[in-house]
Amino acid sequence: MKAMMLGLAVAALTAPGIAQQTTGAAAGNFRLTDMAGRNVALSDYKGKTVVLEWHNPGCPFVRKHYDSGNMQRTQAAATAGGAVWLTINSGAPGKQGNMTPAEAQAQFAKDGSKATRYLLDPRGVVGKGYGAKTTPHLYIIDPAGKLVYQGGIDDKPTANAGDIAGARNHVTAALAEMKAGEPVSVAESRPYGCSVKYPES
Amino acid sequence: MIVRLLALLVALFLTAPAAAQLAAQPRHIAIELVAESDTPAPGSEVTLALASKPDPGWHGYWKNPGDAGIETTLNWTLPAGLTAGALEYPVPHRLVIGGLMNYVYEGPFAQFVRLKLPTGLAPGTKLPIAVKADYLVCTNEICVPETAQLSTMLTVGDGAIRPERRAQFDAWRTAMPKPLGSPAVFQVENGRTRIAVPWPADQTAPDPYFFPLTDGAVAYAAPQSVGRDGDRLVIDTQAGGKTPGEIAGVLALGDGRGFAVRAAPGTVAPVRPEAAFSWATALAAFGGAILGGLILNVMPCVFPILSLKALSLARAGGGERGARAEALAYSAGVILVCLALGGAILALRAGGASVGWAFQLQDPRVILVLLLLVTGIALNLAGLFELSAPGAINRLAAGGKGGAFLTGALAAFVATPCTGPFMGAALGAALILPTAAALAVFAGLGLGLALPFLAIGFVPALRRRLPKPGPWMATLRRVLSVPMFLTSLALGWVLWRQAGGQGLVVGALAVLLMAFALLAVGTRQRKGAPVPWGLSIPLLAISLGAALLLRPEAVRPAADYGQPFSEARLAALRQANKPVFAYFTADWCVTCKVNEKVAIETDTVADAFEKGGVEVLVGDWTDGDPALGRFIEAHNRAGVPLYLWYAPGAAQPRVLPQVLTPAMLADLPAKAGIGS
Repeated sequence: MKAMMLGLAVAALTAPGIAQQTTGAAAGNFRLTDMAGRNVALSDYKGKTVVLEWHNPGCPFVRKHYDSGNMQRTQAAATAGGAVWLTINSGAPGKQGNMTPAEAQAQFAKDGSKATRYLLDPRGVVGKGYGAKTTPHLYIIDPAGKLVYQGGIDDKPTANAGDIAGARNHVTAALAEMKAGEPVSVAESRPYGCSVKYPES
Repeated sequence: MIVRLLALLVALFLTAPAAAQLAAQPRHIAIELVAESDTPAPGSEVTLALASKPDPGWHGYWKNPGDAGIETTLNWTLPAGLTAGALEYPVPHRLVIGGLMNYVYEGPFAQFVRLKLPTGLAPGTKLPIAVKADYLVCTNEICVPETAQLSTMLTVGDGAIRPERRAQFDAWRTAMPKPLGSPAVFQVENGRTRIAVPWPADQTAPDPYFFPLTDGAVAYAAPQSVGRDGDRLVIDTQAGGKTPGEIAGVLALGDGRGFAVRAAPGTVAPVRPEAAFSWATALAAFGGAILGGLILNVMPCVFPILSLKALSLARAGGGERGARAEALAYSAGVILVCLALGGAILALRAGGASVGWAFQLQDPRVILVLLLLVTGIALNLAGLFELSAPGAINRLAAGGKGGAFLTGALAAFVATPCTGPFMGAALGAALILPTAAALAVFAGLGLGLALPFLAIGFVPALRRRLPKPGPWMATLRRVLSVPMFLTSLALGWVLWRQAGGQGLVVGALAVLLMAFALLAVGTRQRKGAPVPWGLSIPLLAISLGAALLLRPEAVRPAADYGQPFSEARLAALRQANKPVFAYFTADWCVTCKVNEKVAIETDTVADAFEKGGVEVLVGDWTDGDPALGRFIEAHNRAGVPLYLWYAPGAAQPRVLPQVLTPAMLADLPAKAGIGS
């Protein structure tokens, strides 16, 4: 029964075109397979803070945050604080960043990712349902299932790793505010990076 | 030589990191930093271009990259005192990949930066200019952020520009968006963003697309629909989730032109009929239309017809049913003609044609027919002949209903020129309302026009109040012919304005022929002899046929007393110590057109300028002529309208405000102490 409801939720997200999740509203549920072949649904993490990170290992903007260790630090801090971190790859087969589960496991290990799960979305269903446009593109869902942040990882839209030091990390800041019981002060920002490599439909 | 060598060394030093990077990975956009003048003058501005050539299959990004991507950032290393302005982007293209919108350049493009030099630089001073440009370049598959270290060496000099450099910059300049002279308005409502951009109704706008600069104002990948609403283009698209305080962007047309737009919050009614609209507005417009129609009854162009009909009703005397039927027939005639005219306007509007209410009066042929009709009615009222028309009309009129219907139709048709002052608001609303509601407004106008007549027909008390028929009616008829003759005089004037002197002569001849025909009819009628239709009908036909001879005169040039602007011509006139009024306009500039109609092209101004010996120079920037663009920029205006007044002997022109009045212009020669 639960699986059926999840299936319906996924169907609801498959609406054509790129939708957008509304900040402050309930985040749309989804179910994907992770790189280990396990089924993962957003609803599995009810009661927990969930961070969604759109990922493409070949994108220079993603590399900026992984090669500098910034993304892994952000992930570690988030999970240490009790949050669940789901990295999602919506790259279509044949396009940059698309990986088989095995390739994803190798990349995950190589980058030393601290994410809770690495999810594969090759049809772009969840990416389009969330309106994910760039890699990276980040979303935070609160324990009640409400979307409280969507946008870039920080406020320095460049590919230069040297800019990380002076940037405001929107995710870290939002998680800290949530922990302190305060509203998220920057609930939306403009994501920056490469476009998500969706399939041409 | 040594200086040049040093400059080269400096340049080499500055580009060294870039060179290192180049060796590491080839760049996908070749960028060259080019200055318009290599020897800019102190205190001036010099335009620098980042001339870029993406590799085949690669694209660079606009300032707003769209759903993904980043804008170019520049880091300048400039000599003390020099300042660089913001990066100016040419009009981009659209590229949709996997459902995401990208605003890009797929071919060669050039971005501009204006560099300001301080005053007091010694000629010959070397100015090494260096900039680090960070930008993103992508294919449909992958993205690469690149860094370019660019440099050039300028020498303080006289600001001379080499001709080939100027031509190159002018070509790049044509791709830059032009500022529209009038502000735009936007409204976010029910998840839609509508932006109304000022655009003259008589200008085509092929394949328009709005490139938003303000983030979150519109959903980039959503389709845009563009409708026309008089002097506005209305872009209607899905909202982007934020309601900004201002929406900036570029309106690009399919023919390569682009216009910078800044829209302030306001009300933008949906243009397409299926879109939502306010019933309150429609009802208010309907009420206004009825009121306006009511007022029209006392207008000189309608009153005689109405009185004529009222009299005939009074003359008919008795029959309650007959009176009602006639009143209804009259109302039907009025309302149907109003609806027909309204429908025609809406149809033409939908086709993008430039029409307004009373559009049918813009054609001299229609005017001539109206002139003949009105003169005929006037002659009838004056007693030249009696309207005992033959055939079908006669039979219709005999019953009263047919005649009443035709009278109503005529009243509505001739009433349209009178609608302007009273009906402006209601008609304006009608033209932006959905078709059905707009037609209701036109029907309301007809209903208002017919209302007094309906009252007379349906309220016997009112009819009883009408004076009894008697000899006084003949006198009143004669009196009523006076405003009718005045109306034909007015129509004659309109004919002259529209078709020129020749048109007026044709019109006068036609009227004369008709008068002869009617005179013949009237003379025979008074003698009791049979009406000589055999003579009169051909004469009437010829006079009506004269309408076919008329052609609307070609559109007159923007100013018939102006001459095309050129800097050489301006210099020559100023050399000759002549006062010069130079104005810069474009067909796509609404403010310009309004100023020309209400101020510049008025007789007051023409007279004042003629008396003062003022030379008028007209710069037409419709096609974005770069030479004019430079001249306009030199006067600290980004675009048209620009109005310059050069008093004789004055070193600098006076920049006049963007909104002109005839008095303001007419006063110019007198204030300069000439012409009076």
